[in-house]
Amino acid sequence: MLKFTIRRLLITFPQLVILSILVFFLGSLMPGDALSGLLDPNIPAEAIQAKREELGLDNPWYIQYRDWIFAMFQGDFGTSIFHQRPVMDVIGDRLMNTVWLSLFSTILIYLIGLPLGLVSGRYNDSLLDNTITGYTYLGFATPQFIFGLVILWLFGYNLGWFPTGGSVGPGLEPGSIDYILSKINHLVLPSFAIALIGLVGTVQYLRSGIIETKQKDFIILARAKGVKESSVYNRHIFRNSILPIAAFFGYEIVALLGGSIFIEMIYSYPGMGRLFLDSISTRDFSVANVLILFYGILAILGALLSDIILSIVDPRIRIK
Amino acid sequence: MGKYSWSKLMFFMMLVLVLALAACGGGSSEEESSEDSGDSSSEGSSEESKDESEAEGESGEVYNYEDFNQVVSNDGEATGEGTLKVGLTSDTPFEGTLNWNLYQGNPDAEVLGLFDEPLLTMDEDFQFTNDGALNFEVNEDDKTVTFTMQEGVKWHDGEPVTIDDYVYSYEVIGHPDYPGIRGATDGFTLIEGYDEYKAGDADSISGIEVIDDQTAVFTYKEIAPSLTAGGFWYYAMPEHHYEGVEIADMAEAPQTRENPLGIGPYKVDSVTPGESVVMSKFEDYWRGEPNLDGIELSVVSPSSIANALETGEVDYAINFPTDQYPDVAEMDGVEWLANIDGAYTYIGFKLGEWNEEEGKVDYKPEESKVGDKELRRAMWHAMDNEAVGKRFYNGLRWEATTLITPYHAEWHDDSIETPEYDPEKAKQILDDAGYEDTDGDGFRETPEGEPLELNFASMSGGDTAEPLANYYIQSWKDVGLNVSLTNDRLIEFNTFYDMLENDDPEVDIYQGAWGVGSDVDPYGLYGPDVAFNYPRYETEESTKLMEEGNSPDALDVEKRKEIYNEWQALMVEEMPVVPTLYRAYVVPVNDRVTNFGIELGHDEETLPYKWGVTE
Repeated sequence: MLKFTIRRLLITFPQLVILSILVFFLGSLMPGDALSGLLDPNIPAEAIQAKREELGLDNPWYIQYRDWIFAMFQGDFGTSIFHQRPVMDVIGDRLMNTVWLSLFSTILIYLIGLPLGLVSGRYNDSLLDNTITGYTYLGFATPQFIFGLVILWLFGYNLGWFPTGGSVGPGLEPGSIDYILSKINHLVLPSFAIALIGLVGTVQYLRSGIIETKQKDFIILARAKGVKESSVYNRHIFRNSILPIAAFFGYEIVALLGGSIFIEMIYSYPGMGRLFLDSISTRDFSVANVLILFYGILAILGALLSDIILSIVDPRIRIK
Repeated sequence: MGKYSWSKLMFFMMLVLVLALAACGGGSSEEESSEDSGDSSSEGSSEESKDESEAEGESGEVYNYEDFNQVVSNDGEATGEGTLKVGLTSDTPFEGTLNWNLYQGNPDAEVLGLFDEPLLTMDEDFQFTNDGALNFEVNEDDKTVTFTMQEGVKWHDGEPVTIDDYVYSYEVIGHPDYPGIRGATDGFTLIEGYDEYKAGDADSISGIEVIDDQTAVFTYKEIAPSLTAGGFWYYAMPEHHYEGVEIADMAEAPQTRENPLGIGPYKVDSVTPGESVVMSKFEDYWRGEPNLDGIELSVVSPSSIANALETGEVDYAINFPTDQYPDVAEMDGVEWLANIDGAYTYIGFKLGEWNEEEGKVDYKPEESKVGDKELRRAMWHAMDNEAVGKRFYNGLRWEATTLITPYHAEWHDDSIETPEYDPEKAKQILDDAGYEDTDGDGFRETPEGEPLELNFASMSGGDTAEPLANYYIQSWKDVGLNVSLTNDRLIEFNTFYDMLENDDPEVDIYQGAWGVGSDVDPYGLYGPDVAFNYPRYETEESTKLMEEGNSPDALDVEKRKEIYNEWQALMVEEMPVVPTLYRAYVVPVNDRVTNFGIELGHDEETLPYKWGVTE
């Protein structure tokens, strides 16, 4: 297990190097740079050109790449031209927001999704199951941004139960109880918007897993032995049906950490998704490159996490 | 066919339908790339507009910004307390560089405008006046300007504002380590010794002499008219606040981001990065006591700003998307103000190239496909911009005439006649100029008999961009010109300007937009040695007029007006670009707000410290 993990991590490194080179190269193919959006007749083109040279934006991509890598090994991740501050500060501001949002959404997905899947699988083809399955079909068909807007309109504006934007109320002292409560309050709508749509996969996987498993011989045997019905479901069937979900857990976390662009836009939530999109469209590559690298690391770690979870859940799968 | 298979078939058909619908709905979430892009517009602006027979009354209400108030009609007495909730409409968090000398993005400027104020005021003609904290006196004879800081003006931390804080702005912006992009305009470069200071050859700017705490005398190389029209820098920077901070690090310093100082009626209490700013009353504000307890600003996404206004969550929205207005015009409890925007949309013609070595434009009309003035004139006649304004923008954009917009009301010459919409006349002009369809393909050839294929570059962004580009292409086709979209599609913002800058041969015609500054001087866009001169147009006459317009001779406003009238007329005559649309913007304000206005120029009655609520 440990050996496997270490080996996986070792393979990761060249993957990241290739990823970063690719990103840099592709970035250099994109027209424009961080200064090309400065179309202001009050700023002479020479001033912009001078700035460009100062920042080394005119250098060929491999020179820029070399400078970037060297700086990074010295712990300098560069400065965002657009935000005028170190890249790590810019990302740091957003990262915690995204971590909270994805944590909340993940908890909600499993907290709601697992029981729904269990019930739906256990009483399949009942009215209850049909309702739940109906909901999952609806969920599959509903785009997240539409759903996000609808619950924003309903609970945010019409009923006024929750704040409609931002990650925290204005003017609160970070760390105070009010601040934390306000943070949670701001998380409710966006995380429900993500979770209620995001859980449909979980429900469906679990449902079909359970239906399949409960016809297996060992379940019949367990029942024949006189194992209690609740225990049949909760231990024997559940554990065997959860494999596909466990396999996706790592990826799910990564996808959520990447930030949900639509939800962030609708709720004016300052997270990573928006940051990434904005830094691409403003050609703020110093931020975009670090973010891509970060996502790359996340994706690799997510896959690893999934493998490890799988091997824990299913003793048949042993990694060699 | 049995009942069973019939229902199966129905189910299958339904699935197909669902898929088809889903496919239609795709790709509509493209984001607005920039304020220079085509901007989105209201509903009712679909492809039908190709049919230009009936221009009016089809796409809903048509508005005129002149029918709107510029000052809220609530004239009740301000209660002297209450919090004004301001919504900053933006789909990105604000960057948080909260200093006038350092900020880059517009959202930051909007935040800054609530707690810091310009030292100099402007009238509606964008000429500096002496109603602010700083007074100036120009002495043309010895090319000096004396600046006097009023007594009693204080920073939010209680320190008095001195003339040194004003001079400090120049010293920071001009410093070789200064990270921003300011300091290249007349207000800086014309100061004696500024260039030496900027190059790092001098420790101070020799043309600035501080007399005492309140007074300084600036010596200029020349007193240009642009100086008093937005040229002087008009913000102070708190020197004591930035003590010990390297100039290169100022933009990221906590002095800028967490506890910024200003001199405005409200002071910053706390900043939640990118999201919100809480401000409270600054009792020692130099003009008098502010009418509110405080201001709370938060970023609201464009998709929910209208709702936020309706529920009263926001009293006043900054940067409200004008294209949403027709949908929410009837909202209860909200008053809509409107004013003209300092920007215009235009169709440009590529008439030359940028000469990198000499740093100037090479105007080569004879090599350009659109180098013939008659061809351009015919294309202007073929466009019905009045209908475009009404149908695509509900009248909130309207037909443009000259390159000096009515935003500069004093300078805009509305007596100049521009080619009106008249496709028959366009055809006539083309016929007369020798553009005739000689090979019978339905399109005209050049007078030399060569096929004439023109490429039109247009930017993506917003719902209107595509139908609008198609509309223009169709209009030109209707008079027999073969115009097609460059790359066969709309072009993303960065790529678009990259192509223009590099004079991409795939672009003959393009649609762009410019924001105009407070000074009317168009040199920064159409001068012979400026890279933003995208049409690459340059003639002696035009250059001469623009230079005269910003020379000391033009300090006389009447004389300057004459010069710019002549230039506007020349541009209509030569048409290197065709201005297509002027635009207005709307500002929603809750009914409870009083003493609030969006007029151009200084108005004592609607200054931020007078803003109040009446309940």
